[in-house]
Amino acid sequence: MLTLFYETRAMNTRVIVDRMIVLALVIAGWELCSLHFGTIWFSSPLRVLYRFGEEIRSGDLFFQASYTLKAALYGSLLGGIPAALLPFVLRRHPVAGAILDPYFVGGYGVPKLALAPLFILWFGVDIAPKVALVASIVSFLVFFSTTAGVNAVNAQYVSVARVFGANERDIARHIVWPGAIPYAFAGFRVAAPYAIGAAVVGELISSNRGLGFMVQSGATDFDTTLVFVSLVTLTIIVVVVNLLIGLLERWLLRWRPPQRHLAARVAGT
Amino acid sequence: MSSPRTMLEVKGLAKRFSPRSGQAAAPWILADLSFHVAEQEFLTLVGPSGAGKSTLLNIIAQVDGASEGEIFFRGKLIETADGAALKPGWNCQIGYVTQDDNLLPWRTLYENVTLPLKLQGRFDATGKARVDDLLRVTNLSGFQRYYPHELSGGMRKRAALIRTLAYDPPIILMDEPFGAVDAQTRTQLQQDLLRLWHRGGKTIVFVTHDIGEAIALGDRVLVLSKSPAKIIAAHNIGIKRPRDLGNVYRLEGFGELFEAVRKDIQ
Repeated sequence: MLTLFYETRAMNTRVIVDRMIVLALVIAGWELCSLHFGTIWFSSPLRVLYRFGEEIRSGDLFFQASYTLKAALYGSLLGGIPAALLPFVLRRHPVAGAILDPYFVGGYGVPKLALAPLFILWFGVDIAPKVALVASIVSFLVFFSTTAGVNAVNAQYVSVARVFGANERDIARHIVWPGAIPYAFAGFRVAAPYAIGAAVVGELISSNRGLGFMVQSGATDFDTTLVFVSLVTLTIIVVVVNLLIGLLERWLLRWRPPQRHLAARVAGT
Repeated sequence: MSSPRTMLEVKGLAKRFSPRSGQAAAPWILADLSFHVAEQEFLTLVGPSGAGKSTLLNIIAQVDGASEGEIFFRGKLIETADGAALKPGWNCQIGYVTQDDNLLPWRTLYENVTLPLKLQGRFDATGKARVDDLLRVTNLSGFQRYYPHELSGGMRKRAALIRTLAYDPPIILMDEPFGAVDAQTRTQLQQDLLRLWHRGGKTIVFVTHDIGEAIALGDRVLVLSKSPAKIIAAHNIGIKRPRDLGNVYRLEGFGELFEAVRKDIQ
């Protein structure tokens, strides 16, 4: 998923054909399962496709998906932006950074999904606890990634810039910040599927809206078709979000040499 | 050789880094090193690899402190003691072109070259004209909007050079700036450098391990010993200017000087 963008660049006809074959096999296997075990457990690809269309036409799918996406987006911004800025503050205050470090590591280690009941207690059952859950996960991923970027700053760039007149603020702005952006982006990229997953888990636990709620209510009613429709929608959302982040990243980081070696490796050419 | 107008004077400079654990004292990198540079002189320092040439330039550029000794810039003492508050570049008076080009990869060639002027608040009409002129002289016009990874090694070296020339520091330190390029590009870069220097006003301290380069470029060559580095010989280079570097071995007196410096180093 992480390399999806580079993959598409190096794709050739052979790879596309092979991928279609894999997709056909998966769908055929799914159909076989539903024939063998009954559609009550597995629904079937065709049923899911019809239902998908129905849910889109009724506007329900869009309504539920936008609720989940909203929670994931707000949580990512609320948790991610401060987490991307904090390493720059700590760079100027290394003592504070050293004091706080074990707490960051400890906080990262806490299984955040286990906090969901607590967030529901604190923030109620609407969107707020989902946003909090997403933020708690995204913030740590972005923070550690950006910190790695800040620490990886090229000391020679800093020396040379000082010689030609840069002060501390210039260095932060022109050298540390641009150098750390790729790392912050990597953090957001890794965090994106987790953000959507966390929003869904929040909805599973307590909600009357969202794709997580759709999964839950489908399962309760033995409506496996609805469950699969929700899962397919979630998969599509994650793939699209990843593509969009990839495009934004490519535009922001257009100064970087193209990473063809990566594309070649992924496509196996 | 002494000149009435001394730009930079280095007196009794010595340097050693803090000892590693288990080491009583670190070895000296520089020991009792003294020399001076006249205004508008092209001084080259030649010495074996690992002689402490980069350390010396780092200290003069105020990127690193000295353990002992003093440096005077136009007669004024530069604070160099280890632990003192260093002022890298001495208020933009001392330019420094390093071994690596150190162009910022996220800035285009033009943004890189103009960065010092912008940071110094001098990116005005005069500054712009100066940059445009330097770009033209070094054949970089037309590449302003390219990112460093899109430029050849030689172009990056020229960009690094004019980044420093653009803000016009009176003295420029150069640390094997043409190290990692092929021989032809290198000759071209040397010729470019001499052409820029001939326009006047610049004092250059050029460090290299290449004897030929030191002689071809310099007014005067100082020979550094193996570590701990000190000056063991000085040669005035009487070769007429402008010099044609395409044919450096045919230059009047080049052979004798080369032999003399080679003997000094051995």
